[in-house]
Amino acid sequence: MDFKNEKQGAFMVVVPAGRMDAVTAPEFEQECERLIQSGELKMVADMSALEYISSAGLRSILATAKKLKGQQGEIRFCGLEGMVEEVFSISGFSSMFPVFDTRDDAIKD
Amino acid sequence: MKRGIAFKISALALASTFIIFAAVLVYNYDVSRKIIGEAAETNARNVGKRAANRVASVVLPIQKAVDNLALALEDASLTTDEIVTLSRRMVESNKDIYGVAIAFEPYRHDQEELFFSPYHYRGKDGIEFTMLGGTSYRYFYMDWYQLPKVLGRAVWTEPYFDEGGGDALMATYSVPFYRSENGKRVLAGVCTADITLDWLRDVMDEIRLSKSAYSVILSRNGTYIHHPISELVLNQTIFSLAEDREEPAIREIGQDMIAGKTGFMFRKSIRGNVDSFLYYTALPVGGWSLAILFPKDEVLAGVNTLLRDIIVIGALGFLLLTGAMLWIARSISRPVRQLSDSAMEIAGGNLDAEIPTIETEDEVGDLADSFNHMRTSLKTYIKDLTETTASKERIESELRIAREIQMGILPKLFPAFPDRPEFDIYASIEPAKEVGGDLYDFFFVDDDHFCFLIGDVSGKGVPAAFFMAVTKTLLKVICERGLDPGAALEKVNNDLAEENESCMFVTLFLCVMNIHTGEVRYGSAGHNPPILIRSGEAEWIPPLKEPVAGPIEGMSYSTKTLQLSPGDTIFLYTDGVTEAMDNERTLYGEDRLMEHMKRYARKNAAEIVTSVDASIKEFTGGAEQSDDITMLAMRFNGDGPQEP
Repeated sequence: MDFKNEKQGAFMVVVPAGRMDAVTAPEFEQECERLIQSGELKMVADMSALEYISSAGLRSILATAKKLKGQQGEIRFCGLEGMVEEVFSISGFSSMFPVFDTRDDAIKD
Repeated sequence: MKRGIAFKISALALASTFIIFAAVLVYNYDVSRKIIGEAAETNARNVGKRAANRVASVVLPIQKAVDNLALALEDASLTTDEIVTLSRRMVESNKDIYGVAIAFEPYRHDQEELFFSPYHYRGKDGIEFTMLGGTSYRYFYMDWYQLPKVLGRAVWTEPYFDEGGGDALMATYSVPFYRSENGKRVLAGVCTADITLDWLRDVMDEIRLSKSAYSVILSRNGTYIHHPISELVLNQTIFSLAEDREEPAIREIGQDMIAGKTGFMFRKSIRGNVDSFLYYTALPVGGWSLAILFPKDEVLAGVNTLLRDIIVIGALGFLLLTGAMLWIARSISRPVRQLSDSAMEIAGGNLDAEIPTIETEDEVGDLADSFNHMRTSLKTYIKDLTETTASKERIESELRIAREIQMGILPKLFPAFPDRPEFDIYASIEPAKEVGGDLYDFFFVDDDHFCFLIGDVSGKGVPAAFFMAVTKTLLKVICERGLDPGAALEKVNNDLAEENESCMFVTLFLCVMNIHTGEVRYGSAGHNPPILIRSGEAEWIPPLKEPVAGPIEGMSYSTKTLQLSPGDTIFLYTDGVTEAMDNERTLYGEDRLMEHMKRYARKNAAEIVTSVDASIKEFTGGAEQSDDITMLAMRFNGDGPQEP
């Protein structure tokens, strides 16, 4: 799984690409963990490059969110499309986390 | 038979050595022979020259003396006594002279006498005297007189054997002498000296080029004057011998010799018929010629001895080398062969096979060390592997048992409620290879309310299995309190969220149905929307979009209601159904599921579930199943009589 990270304003934008399943989800979790360790507590996950997300992917998102919450940080989501948007919607993640249409919207305070 | 390293090394080295040795030997022999041959020729020339000098040293003074005598005799005033004295003195003063004759032309010395030829010779009692000439010995016609007279110069006669006089081989040197008569030089007579040639044998005997070398002297006409085969001497010429033996080559040699040429060649000897070197050269006497023959074998004896010695030394060295090579090669190949045997044994599975101890500090020793190290590593590796495998098998076995227990807590007995005609329920779970976390359940909350649910725990493995078991237990306990599905989910979520550091979660779809009225109250914690079959038409139950249960405490869930009519069915499933993949990783998908549902809308619960299962299996075509496939169908029949 590839990541293209970009600091935009106060937010660190993480862009996971490809599939986020039982195999690759730990990579996402480790990437976020690394960013948290380096002090990035305000994150935006741009999901526009994600093709597929499984329940393991959702779990790694939850684990990251929980860590951020414990350090008064937050994670926002944007660029949800197709299958990923559907999974987010059905699983209630859309109601659990702040979700934005575009990245520009997400990085506004 | 397979040739070993020892054989190959030895054979190669020895063959090379042999070739080198043989080449050196051949070259050495060839060069030595040439050098010796050249030396022999030089030697022969020197010896020939020396012999010629020896002959000359004897003969030339005699010639000189006779020449002087001839000059002295030109004095016409010499008396008979003086002439006789001259003759005697010549014999006296020259030991090599056998006899001296001073022969005058007829009536030349004394007009009364036809013959006048005083002759002194060495008799038994010293020097004796006689007058030659008479009717029985008309010396004017003898060669020794005729030749110098006709030729007008000094002449050596052909040698002859003098039986009457000295019983010796003789040759005569004749010189004509002249006197003035009426102002003209006319022949007065011939003076001669007879020379014994016995000393020639001594001279020849001194020519000892080798043990059986011999020398030959030919006269001007090719007559043998000296030859070790005494029958040839004076009896044969070299030409008559060539005729007898039918060897034209000998005649050619004879022609060269009497022509006074010098030569060196290689041919068979007359005596003994052995391969010999032949050297011939002219002698300073009467057109004579000297030939020396010496056998090749004797000349080359040194070379041959050298050759033999070299061959013997070489052969001994070769044997020694063979021994050394075999020893070295064996000392290399023996341990290698032993190692090879050990390797075969180890390859056969005996890791405790004895490895030969090799103390040498060379490559073979290194190989043995490496080999020993390899065996140790292999043993350790196999031991580890055995332990790991055993441990893995144990874990797998335990996991299988855990899986069986996990599956065991799900209700599997169908028809589940044969005495309840109001509804018909059927469920199935097709577990993936790896332990998963799907669950379903159904039970009566009270006499009128029947609860059925489906759930999917995130992730896989033992944690998911535990989480699934906890969820199922919690659900049953909470639902039996008679709570609304929404309230029940809130309670379950809060209970699960406590101490859930790993953020595991479960999606749940929970229904509670009044079996008499067909009213279904339901709640969803992030679960896939189920399908409702109503009046033979299939449709999605709109998703509630409420959060998954477990990760975050304090979520709120709503309760919705729908009304079933007899014959309506609710079909619950987990994403293992829609995300079942074929070999090209194509998803079974919601559309395919909906199509299938529409076709099987009027079937009973068991038929719907089993037909979907069959459809999925047909679709995946044997591709490995990555997730549990779980389905539950509940068909409401109502209190009235069942529809056909």
